[in-house]
Amino acid sequence: MALIETRGLSKIYTLGKNRQVVALNNVTIGIEEGEIFGILGPNGSGKTTCLKLLLGIIFPTEGEIEIMGENQYSVTAKKNIGFLPENPYYYDYLTGPEILMFYGKLFDIPVSVISSRTEELLHLVGLYDARNLALKHYSKGMLERIGLAASLINDPKILILDEPTTGLDPIGCKETRDLLIKLNQAGKTILLSSHFLSEVERVCTRIAIFHRGYLLSSGTLDGLMKDYQAENLEDLFVKTIEKFDTQEKQEVA
Amino acid sequence: MKKAWIIALNTFHESLRKKTFYILLVVALVVIGASRFFSFLAAEDELKMIKDVSFSTIEFFGALIAIFTALAAVSGEIEKRTIYPLLSKPITRSNFIIGKLMGQSLIILLNVILMSIFFIVLLFIKKSPPDIETFKTIFLIFIELVLIGSITLAVATFATDAFNLIFSFFLYIVGHLISYGKSLLERVENVVLKGLGEMLYTVIPNYENFNIKDKVVVGVQVSWQYIGQTFIYGIIYIAIAVLIGIYFFNKREV
Repeated sequence: MALIETRGLSKIYTLGKNRQVVALNNVTIGIEEGEIFGILGPNGSGKTTCLKLLLGIIFPTEGEIEIMGENQYSVTAKKNIGFLPENPYYYDYLTGPEILMFYGKLFDIPVSVISSRTEELLHLVGLYDARNLALKHYSKGMLERIGLAASLINDPKILILDEPTTGLDPIGCKETRDLLIKLNQAGKTILLSSHFLSEVERVCTRIAIFHRGYLLSSGTLDGLMKDYQAENLEDLFVKTIEKFDTQEKQEVA
Repeated sequence: MKKAWIIALNTFHESLRKKTFYILLVVALVVIGASRFFSFLAAEDELKMIKDVSFSTIEFFGALIAIFTALAAVSGEIEKRTIYPLLSKPITRSNFIIGKLMGQSLIILLNVILMSIFFIVLLFIKKSPPDIETFKTIFLIFIELVLIGSITLAVATFATDAFNLIFSFFLYIVGHLISYGKSLLERVENVVLKGLGEMLYTVIPNYENFNIKDKVVVGVQVSWQYIGQTFIYGIIYIAIAVLIGIYFFNKREV
């Protein structure tokens, strides 16, 4: 059974009187337990919209979402999710341990457990030495790291990460990649969106390519490269998008 | 309720960091302090003046703090995008709105307590310790301020900050003048206009119900029954505002 499932998921924004923007169009995907699933796509392709829909932050125009058998608004389902937003912003007057304590309490985790997990997580993301520093003094990379720690405070079964390496230096990117593989080996299912192809290529077991709100293809990297006769992910990505654009132009003509 | 309380404490701490709170508090304390310089008046009149100015200041500056805190409660979270990680946690949107209301009520309470302490110290200086009527007045002011804040919070779930600010101040003024409107309405003969006026009178909270300072200042005792009824009146309006806030926030995309 898929841990996360979307069926015919669409999101249309109405701008002004007669203008509509299709942010996501009839997307059906299933993410199985134990995999690292990567959502790829250029800017504005619908990656973040898809993740926001999964978390119940925005509402679908059409379609259904199931997370561990529950709908996306279910508090029970959310107890099993850890989320890292793109360019994460937190209450900047709090320190790292304080923000983890705040989020941990929202998961009904006992304070003693949050405290011990906090120490462990701060070591894991390399922010233990900055534990007394308010978040307003954090660099972009540090915010990304504390965001990752915050997404792990509830020891979630599902990790949803929106552009997890934005703002990180090359070493930080590698450390995050290694951490994701380690977390996956520990049994966590990971859904990540990214436009860094190399990152996705190295960690994901399956991928989905989005473009202009459409899900163009999904499957294992090897399977898709074979289907599209692509040499690598970059080649696959370009070929998939070019094929879609060509078809669209032909339809218009 | 536990999760709403966690959000409330966070809102309280966040509001405490805002300069607006301290600026308004300091100005209010200066105004209350200035009231003791009416020493050219007879001793009894001076005391009335101190009480009148202090109650009015607690109410007016409290209303400003209530409105500004409630304005930041929803739009601040959306603008700073702190709402994304928050709503992804196992909380309901009702938890969020109730938590915000509780948090801003704590800030209002702290503000009322600090201004009241300053006012009471002044009364002791004037050798006129506060009586129970003073505390009844402050209590009703606090309920009024929570109501003002809850209405601003409810409107913040569907309107822009600019609209909400204008609306909240407009309602603050209208809510204080509505009793005069009611007496004017009795002279209106047009049935449609009268019906519309009656409807508005029912919908708009009458903030003057919470104002017992004019009586207390001249030594009139206000019954506990009146305090109880006004408290229930306030709670009903606060509950309606919270329900409206939850309804619209449940539909809002952030």
